[in-house]
Amino acid sequence: MAEQPQPRQETMSPGERMGAILMRQRPDRVPFMPFIFGYCARNVGYPIARVYDDPEKSFWAQMWTAEMFGYDGGAMYAYASMGGWEFGGEIKMPVSEWEQAPIVAKFPAETPEAVDALEIPDVETAGCYPIALEFNKIQQQFGMPIMVMAFGCFTPAGNIAEVDKLCRWMMKQPDVAHKLLRKCTDFSKKVVDYYVEHFPNYPMMAFTGEASAANQIISPKQFEEFVLPYQKEIHDHILASGIRNIFCHICGEQNLNLKYWAQMEYGDPGILSFGHEVDLSTAIEYFGDKHAIAGNVEPQIIQNGTNQQVYELCKAAIDKAKMAPSGYLLMAGCEVPVQAPPYNIYVMKKAVMEHGFYD
Amino acid sequence: MATEARKKEILKGLYDGVVEFDEDKVVELSNAVLAEDVDAYEAIMDGLAAGMEHVGDLYANQEYFVPEVLMCSDALYAGLDILRPHLSGKEADVRGQVVIGTVEGDVHDIGKNLVKMMFDVAGFEVHDLGRDVKLEKFVEEQMKTDSEIVALSALMTTSMLAMPKVIEMIKARNPDAMIMVGGAPISQEVADNYGADGYAQNAANAVQEAIQMVSRLREMGKA
Repeated sequence: MAEQPQPRQETMSPGERMGAILMRQRPDRVPFMPFIFGYCARNVGYPIARVYDDPEKSFWAQMWTAEMFGYDGGAMYAYASMGGWEFGGEIKMPVSEWEQAPIVAKFPAETPEAVDALEIPDVETAGCYPIALEFNKIQQQFGMPIMVMAFGCFTPAGNIAEVDKLCRWMMKQPDVAHKLLRKCTDFSKKVVDYYVEHFPNYPMMAFTGEASAANQIISPKQFEEFVLPYQKEIHDHILASGIRNIFCHICGEQNLNLKYWAQMEYGDPGILSFGHEVDLSTAIEYFGDKHAIAGNVEPQIIQNGTNQQVYELCKAAIDKAKMAPSGYLLMAGCEVPVQAPPYNIYVMKKAVMEHGFYD
Repeated sequence: MATEARKKEILKGLYDGVVEFDEDKVVELSNAVLAEDVDAYEAIMDGLAAGMEHVGDLYANQEYFVPEVLMCSDALYAGLDILRPHLSGKEADVRGQVVIGTVEGDVHDIGKNLVKMMFDVAGFEVHDLGRDVKLEKFVEEQMKTDSEIVALSALMTTSMLAMPKVIEMIKARNPDAMIMVGGAPISQEVADNYGADGYAQNAANAVQEAIQMVSRLREMGKA
């Protein structure tokens, strides 16, 4: 019978561990940052919506859940459906047991004329930003680094116009698509400027992500024209503003886009997280020399799989990526589903404790 | 009356028009079908539908992506709108009825819309409930329309959990209804675990599954 691996003694705090990654040093073990939002609210007995609409409850739900499972990521405010609300549409907070995160209830610009009429919003009043800013002030109060939710370009554009309309404009009226992407990019830069101005000299990391540009939707050629220049501009602006690190979630099937993602800057180092569709060895090959790699445990398995399946997936990910030149963080391939069994999250930590230490 | 050579030319033009998402060409040739007395059913099946089938292959092979497929779909519907009213008798009979929708909690409907289009072109009568559909609505619509098939779509891992619930609800009211599931997090294994009768890996496969389901029901004398 194979000998059971024994958990080791941690010699770093979560803050020291994350700090080591950002200083390009080996931490005591692979950091475990699950990428978890709505789950935390449910975990502490709040409705899921509280993690998105109540800064105080959101912060504590995340901190308490991190304490409970012993993972390294602290708290951050983010969700994937940003764009619609911020530009004048409506958002619907999750209410039913089948909902995980906010969804766009009314798209603010469904015609080329409406795109023309869109104005770049004021950060202090735009959609979820007042909530995010309150959340960030709580982080500041507790001396925690702030994660700046840097909006983005393509996914927010799809949340402003609806993805199928954006796709049709890309084919028939590319000038309309570019106009919308320009407005999203300009707003992203405005958000970054706001944070730099209002949290001067405070430790910050920027969060960017891109889901709708996955190859399940657009081609690499379309990515090159409609995503790369805008996303690159946002990243360049973040780094030029003095924020040193970008955490970028490259969501879904993006294998054909990796050569373009590799043309962007992420800071020194950045943290790039991937879905299960991108093999961690491939991610390391493209980005591992310069940036830490995170991912890519399949959320569907975390939710529906047995604890043995989750453990094996995590062990395989750790074995594959632990020695990545700029570090590796164990993370879900996308948000941890709100109905995942708690034991499946526990075994993610167990896998880190049994296989993630550096000798 | 078109010659055989002209008919072939028109059908090939419709096929190409869909594949090359040339909506103007499809409209022009669909009008030519009527003006030159070409059989409308043949024009739909051997021109438009055949073209869309090839589009499905191009998508599966990552030569086309969603923006191209949507444009092909627009060209296809432009032709269907002209030709469908001219189907008659047996040709106009529907192959079966489908209730389709994205389950509650999920607003991602691009995949669902592509499946709907494939059902449309294959001659099914489609009852599209849209997205973020309350589970009871699937049950009500199936009962109201007596549809043989209910097609459920989900992209989100949380909303996929609504699928076994709605399958149970539909089967409790009508055990003969056939349920098909699809969407990014769904696999054959998940479909089996949820008690679905079919799994649609993609839009083209959804129609093949549906045709087999309807055949099974007819063999059992239940459709």
